[in-house]
Amino acid sequence: MELSQVRYFITLCRTLNFTRAATQCNVTQPAFTRAIQRLEDEFGGPLIFRERSLTQLTELGRNIRPHLEAMLDAADAARATADAQTNRRTEILKIGLGPGIGAGAIAGVIREVTTALPDVTIHFDESGPAALVESMLTDALDCALLPDHCDMPERLNRWNLYRDNAVAVLPPEHRLLARNAVTAGDVVDETILVGESCGGFATRLAAESAQPLRLQRCHGATSQMLELVGAGLGIALLSNRLRFAAPLATRPFTEPDLSRGILLAVVAGRPLNPAAASFVKLCRAQRFA
Amino acid sequence: MPTATPDTLQSRLDRLLASRREAAAWNAAYEHWVAELTRNGAVDHALRPGDKFPDFILPSAEGRLISLSAIRATGPVVICFFRGEWCPFCRLMLAALAESLPEIEAAGGTLLALTPETGGLPLDMKTYHKARFEVLSDVDCGVGLATGVVFTIPKLYRALLAKSQPNFPDRHGNGGWLLPVPATYILRPDGVIAWRFLDVDFSRRPEPADIIAALREIRATA
Repeated sequence: MELSQVRYFITLCRTLNFTRAATQCNVTQPAFTRAIQRLEDEFGGPLIFRERSLTQLTELGRNIRPHLEAMLDAADAARATADAQTNRRTEILKIGLGPGIGAGAIAGVIREVTTALPDVTIHFDESGPAALVESMLTDALDCALLPDHCDMPERLNRWNLYRDNAVAVLPPEHRLLARNAVTAGDVVDETILVGESCGGFATRLAAESAQPLRLQRCHGATSQMLELVGAGLGIALLSNRLRFAAPLATRPFTEPDLSRGILLAVVAGRPLNPAAASFVKLCRAQRFA
Repeated sequence: MPTATPDTLQSRLDRLLASRREAAAWNAAYEHWVAELTRNGAVDHALRPGDKFPDFILPSAEGRLISLSAIRATGPVVICFFRGEWCPFCRLMLAALAESLPEIEAAGGTLLALTPETGGLPLDMKTYHKARFEVLSDVDCGVGLATGVVFTIPKLYRALLAKSQPNFPDRHGNGGWLLPVPATYILRPDGVIAWRFLDVDFSRRPEPADIIAALREIRATA
C-alpha cells in the first residue's frame, strides 16, 4: 500500500466526507476515490459504507483504522525525527510515572533520545494511574509507565515493558539483614510504612497475608518515607528498580510473589512529537532486563 | 561432465522453498500470497531507482537511535527489509549478508536491516547471525509504508501464521498483520535510490554478489 492511500483513508475516517477529505489531501476526488478503492481491494472488502449523504466506516474499516493510523504516524514520526535532528527543534518529552515506578529502567532510553535530539526537555509527572491516564487524555502527558493491574480506557495503546519485583527496604543493623530474602512470615512483627507512592506492594501483601500486618500510613514522596525508614520507624516494600542510598539496605521479598508488570501506555491515534515518538519506539523495540 | 551449480543464495532459497512446498497447506498459502500480491498490485508503487529515499531515525537492536542521513553521509547505504526473525527465508538471506559484509563494506556500503519486529527480537536476530551490521526496528512499519513495500498479509497465509508461532500482535506490538516485502534498496550518499530488488515472492532475494556489484558501480560513477 502507498503512504498517500493510507493518508487519504485516515483523512476520510476523520471527516467522513469524500469531498472534504479529498480537498484536505489536495487531490482530485476521482483520484482520491480510486486510491480508497485500491486499498479496499488490498484489504478484501469495503472500508467505507456510502448511502446518499451518509458516509461511515464498515466493520473492516473500523478494524483496520487504528493500525493504519499507527503506521501513518510511524511514517511521519520517522521523517519528523530526522528533520528535528537536522533543525534542532526544541521539544518536551512528558512522561508519567505510576506509583513507585522510578525512571531508572528508562534512563538509558532517555539518554539516547537526548543524544539524538539535544534540545529536548524531559518532564516527569509521578502520580496515581487515574490522574496519569487523565493527563494523557488531555494531552498534558505524552505517555506513562503504569502497573499492569490498573484500569485503563480502550483508547490507550499499551505494551509490556518489564517486571518489577518487591524488596524490603531496611534500616541499618535491622535483624532481617541477616537473611538473603524476606517472606511474609518475617514481617509479621514489623511496622510496614505504606503510602500512595509505594507501588502497592505492601497493600497486596496485606490483602494476601493470612495474618494481620502492622501498617503505618505515610503519604508523600518516597524520599520522605525512606527518611522514616532510616530513622527506624519501620520498613518499606518498594520496587527493586529504585535506588536506595546507604545506610539503607534491601533484601528481595520472595514469598508471596508481589511482582508486577510495568506497561508503557500511549493514547491511540494521537501523533507524538519526535522526542516522544523516539522514546516510545525505543521502549517498544527493546527487551528490558 | 556436468558443471557444478554454484551454491548461490537463490539456490539455497529454492531448496528451502521446495521442502516447504511439500506441505500442502503451506504451499496453498504461498501460492495465494504470490497470486494475491501480484493481482492487487499492493507494492507496484514502491519507491524505485531515481526516487529519493525518505530520511528516518529508527531504534537499533541495541537500543540506539540510528539516523539514515548520518549514515549515508559516509557513503552508499544498503537497506534490506526483512519479514522477521521467524522467517526461514529471511534467515538464509541474513546469513548470506553477514558472510558478505566485508565485501559490502569494502565496496563502500553500509548495510541496514529493517524488521517490523519489536520487544528485543531485532537483537535476537542480530545475535543469532553474529551480524556486525545494524538491525533496526521499523516499529509499526512506518519506513516500510513511506517506501511503499508494506501490505496486508493475504488471508490464507495469515490463517497459517495464526495457527502457529509467530504471534504477530506480540512480535510487532500491534494487531495490524502487516508485513514488508523483503525488498533491498541501495542509496547513493545523496539519498537517491540507485538500485533495488523487489519481488512479491518472498523466496526470491538478491544475491549478495549483485549488491556488491551495484555498490562498485556507484563508486565507479561517483
